[in-house]
Amino acid sequence: MSSHRTARVARVLSGALRLWEVSASVEHDSEGGFLIDAPSGTTLRIVPGWLVFRDGQLLASHAGLPGLLRTLRQELAPEAPRGRLIIGSR
Amino acid sequence: MTAMPISVITGFLGSGKTTLLSRLLRDPALARTAVIVNELGEVGLDHLLVEASDEEIVLLEGGCLCCKVRGDLVRTAAELLARRARGEAEFDRIVVETTGLADPAPILQALMTDREIADALRLESVIATVDCAAGSATLDAHPESVKQVALADRIVLTKTDLADPSALAERLRRLNPAAPQLTALHGAVDPSLLFGGSGYDRPLPDHRPHSESGTSSFCLRRSEPLHAVTLSLFLQLLAEHCGAKLLRLKGLIDVVESPGRPAVIHGVQHVFHPPAFLDAWPDDDRSTRIVVIAQGIEAGWLQDLLEILDDEVQACSIS
Repeated sequence: MSSHRTARVARVLSGALRLWEVSASVEHDSEGGFLIDAPSGTTLRIVPGWLVFRDGQLLASHAGLPGLLRTLRQELAPEAPRGRLIIGSR
Repeated sequence: MTAMPISVITGFLGSGKTTLLSRLLRDPALARTAVIVNELGEVGLDHLLVEASDEEIVLLEGGCLCCKVRGDLVRTAAELLARRARGEAEFDRIVVETTGLADPAPILQALMTDREIADALRLESVIATVDCAAGSATLDAHPESVKQVALADRIVLTKTDLADPSALAERLRRLNPAAPQLTALHGAVDPSLLFGGSGYDRPLPDHRPHSESGTSSFCLRRSEPLHAVTLSLFLQLLAEHCGAKLLRLKGLIDVVESPGRPAVIHGVQHVFHPPAFLDAWPDDDRSTRIVVIAQGIEAGWLQDLLEILDDEVQACSIS
């Protein structure tokens, strides 16, 4: 992952945490992934390929950002309001 | 079947909704209009103040449309349509006047999605009246009024004879840069500026991000076309994670799969119209523009999200 893209992903993860009102920080790790220290003491590690580890155990793997964000919200902000896209009639 | 246009007039208590509606209904262009008036009090009066001749006027009282009587709105609209189908009523447009305290979002969502009426109705316009004399104080004190302005397609400044509207107009522009502002003295305004057209085929303004009364507005821009799948994923993510914090989103999207025919998207919170494709761009600007009005959502976050999603979709397309 390019440094530009890594920085952008980090901003998206940080922004999502703020949106869910979770006070946790997103840090880069040495292998091009990210570390999130949750307020509960849990550490989530995201490695390239969107694999999510919780305290060293594989929690989920995703094909893209939507699934990753869903897992993070479930882990870090399960009480955050969740919506569902509705397409109405014109 | 051609969908019947339905418009919503909202605005805080005393902001001139009924005066505007009454004046509009005297215009021959709106002669064939059915009106649904919602009032909060035990005894409704506004429907008596709406001077009408041939219009169908239905009063919904005893509660606010956005909460207690939303089902009544759907049933009333459905009954109006049924009466028209039986030849018992003649009208070509429905106008809903909300209470001054109504949150327009659930009303719009009901009109856009309710199975009983959504296919038969086409949301034409959301009009918010704002009183120039008291509007600024109302925006400070009542979050409902901020939301009414944020969700509007058109903003009508009323009581312009009582106060200079310039500062308020600028404040409203910061709140909702995409909505044209009109002035109405004693309710007088050209109906063609309020009704007609989809309201979403106008060029969207480019503007700097603004924050006002806890509500921010900003425009996302992108010069490269977006994949249709990106657009779908983006809207799903917004609905899933932003929920009620996303007040309004309107966009003109350059879609990879539809060159020269931009898609118009329009949503209220997590409810969106199906994308509509224009025959051509409405102006010389060919870039994607998405105007967002939200509470607690950062512009940079949405822009980054959009870029990453399209990168991922692009990568999947190549492989």
